[in-house]
Amino acid sequence: MKSLDTPKLLLFFIAVLIFSSCHDEVTSTYTYRTMMPVYLEMSDVRARTIAIEPAKDLDNPGKIYIYEDYLFINEPTKGIHILDNEDPSRPINLSFIPIAGNVDMAVNGKILYADNYVDLLAFDISDINHIQLVKRVEDVFNHLYRHDTGEIITFQDTIITTESATWQVERGWVMSDALSFSANYAAASQSYGTGGSMARFTLLNQHLYAVDESTMRVFDVEVPADPTFVKPIDLGWGIETIFPFKDILFIGSNNGMHIYDASTPSSPTRMSVYEHVQACDPVVVNEDYAFVTLRNGTACWNGVNELQVIDINDLYNPTLKKSYAMLNPHGLGLAGEYLYVTEGVHGLKSFNISDVMAIDQNQLEFLEKEKSVDLIPGPNSLIVIGPDGVCQFDYSNPSKLRKLSCIQVSNPVNVY
Amino acid sequence: MSLKTTILLSCALFFYLNSIAQDKAYFNQTELGFLYGKGSEQWDGSKENRIDVSFITFHGVRITKNHVIGFSTGLDQYNQLSIIPLALGWRGFLGKTGKPNVFAGLDIGGGSALLEKKEENEWSKSWYEGGYLVSPSFGASFPAKKGKSALTLSFAYKRQQISQFVGTFLPPGSPSIPTDLLPPGFSTFTENDFLFRSFVFRAGLLF
Repeated sequence: MKSLDTPKLLLFFIAVLIFSSCHDEVTSTYTYRTMMPVYLEMSDVRARTIAIEPAKDLDNPGKIYIYEDYLFINEPTKGIHILDNEDPSRPINLSFIPIAGNVDMAVNGKILYADNYVDLLAFDISDINHIQLVKRVEDVFNHLYRHDTGEIITFQDTIITTESATWQVERGWVMSDALSFSANYAAASQSYGTGGSMARFTLLNQHLYAVDESTMRVFDVEVPADPTFVKPIDLGWGIETIFPFKDILFIGSNNGMHIYDASTPSSPTRMSVYEHVQACDPVVVNEDYAFVTLRNGTACWNGVNELQVIDINDLYNPTLKKSYAMLNPHGLGLAGEYLYVTEGVHGLKSFNISDVMAIDQNQLEFLEKEKSVDLIPGPNSLIVIGPDGVCQFDYSNPSKLRKLSCIQVSNPVNVY
Repeated sequence: MSLKTTILLSCALFFYLNSIAQDKAYFNQTELGFLYGKGSEQWDGSKENRIDVSFITFHGVRITKNHVIGFSTGLDQYNQLSIIPLALGWRGFLGKTGKPNVFAGLDIGGGSALLEKKEENEWSKSWYEGGYLVSPSFGASFPAKKGKSALTLSFAYKRQQISQFVGTFLPPGSPSIPTDLLPPGFSTFTENDFLFRSFVFRAGLLF
């Protein structure tokens, strides 16, 4: 072949060498996940009609509420699923209420309360097939407001790809995305169940109490369909859960348990604060004792993993009765003499707590395969939330749980 | 041509060449030298030079009197990075037998980052992946007085792509969001694609 002559080829290669660019190149692509701010006008949000939609698959369920034979399952920031749970071994997905910005709910009589960004909504659910919005209380969760113009700021989980080498500098706050992310996530998704121990809305004596990170908001709901905002009460930072018992509100924060006297429902007053080390800590209560789990986790480092039994006979002076080592307790539920603890990846435990000094010796069952985050002891079943979705157990025999069903979710909660 | 194809072809060729190694047709050129390149632009616009070791061994078979095809492998160092090149190659000679010759060559294949360790800890993971390699060359050979061997001096241009991946894991407990942009389980992912352009000066032997 003439064209393959060595001299010509040599010439060609020399030309290649001469005309080639001769310094190195680096192209970097940065892909990262972050919470992007989304700005919304409340006037737009309020203008949308909330029309009940057909059943949707559960994606990433948050709080669960038991109402009669129905389960209300919150899809954080999206709305509420309604399921018929007459037969816990075969729950039926009925419909979906689209409520933007919704993270919590509570039911009072025939009225469902749900937050819609800064507003509180009241729905008439007396006919489950014809749910209707009956009242909107405006501007109550106003910590979401960015400024006074009616614009709110929310965050959306977003993935960004950029070739800008300075993204870390430009978006200084992005560097703490793990933090902001888990904080948002904690606020949005980790509040499960009023029946559950991680609730943030609670009802007591014709009043609705809603806690966010630092404030408790009190609503008068004596006329269920007509909730009225009473006042906000400052609680201090790190509030996580609220649990009502008799006329007392037990509020779990990440460094202690606040006890509020709610005998004057419109104006709860602080009785005492039981302080412990920084940790995530849901709380449940019976006549004499409060049960608190402390957990080491993302949003609550430094924590220990234990179950504390606190003597609350003197509400002004709660004292630690005993603490028990746990593996990684997330949520807990009390049903009479029996205490159920979700141990995250480690499983699900049940205890007989009639002797609070020997709870560890009265462990009934440790289901190591049932990874779980939170639970609700319901009237017909024990509802357990975990990576398998929303599972229900027959717990009529507390020492032998029997799995009835699991509702599949497409984006289950990660257990850790 | 993918890296895998190159490896497969090279292996096949290696065994084939081994079988004819005793034959007259077998050709070997082994050289040691250095790679010279200008680094990518720094933040202030300056470029740092890099000079590193380069080793190549080419095994081939004479298809005509002046043409050899085969494969080459060796070791190229780019700063801290050690890359094993693996390429199919050609050598063409000009000159009379027993006299100094000039030659040209072309190697096309890939570089493997096999020697680079994957680093992984609780929070992050990083690793390298090899990429395409093209290297045209020319040089001169000076035959020994006895035997078939010759001393070689060669000059080459080498274009080598290497990718580095650095990812940080999602904090435990985060919900996953389905996406094609991020590999599952990561919250950040950085891909650095390096294109090394080097001049190579080598000396060695052929027979």
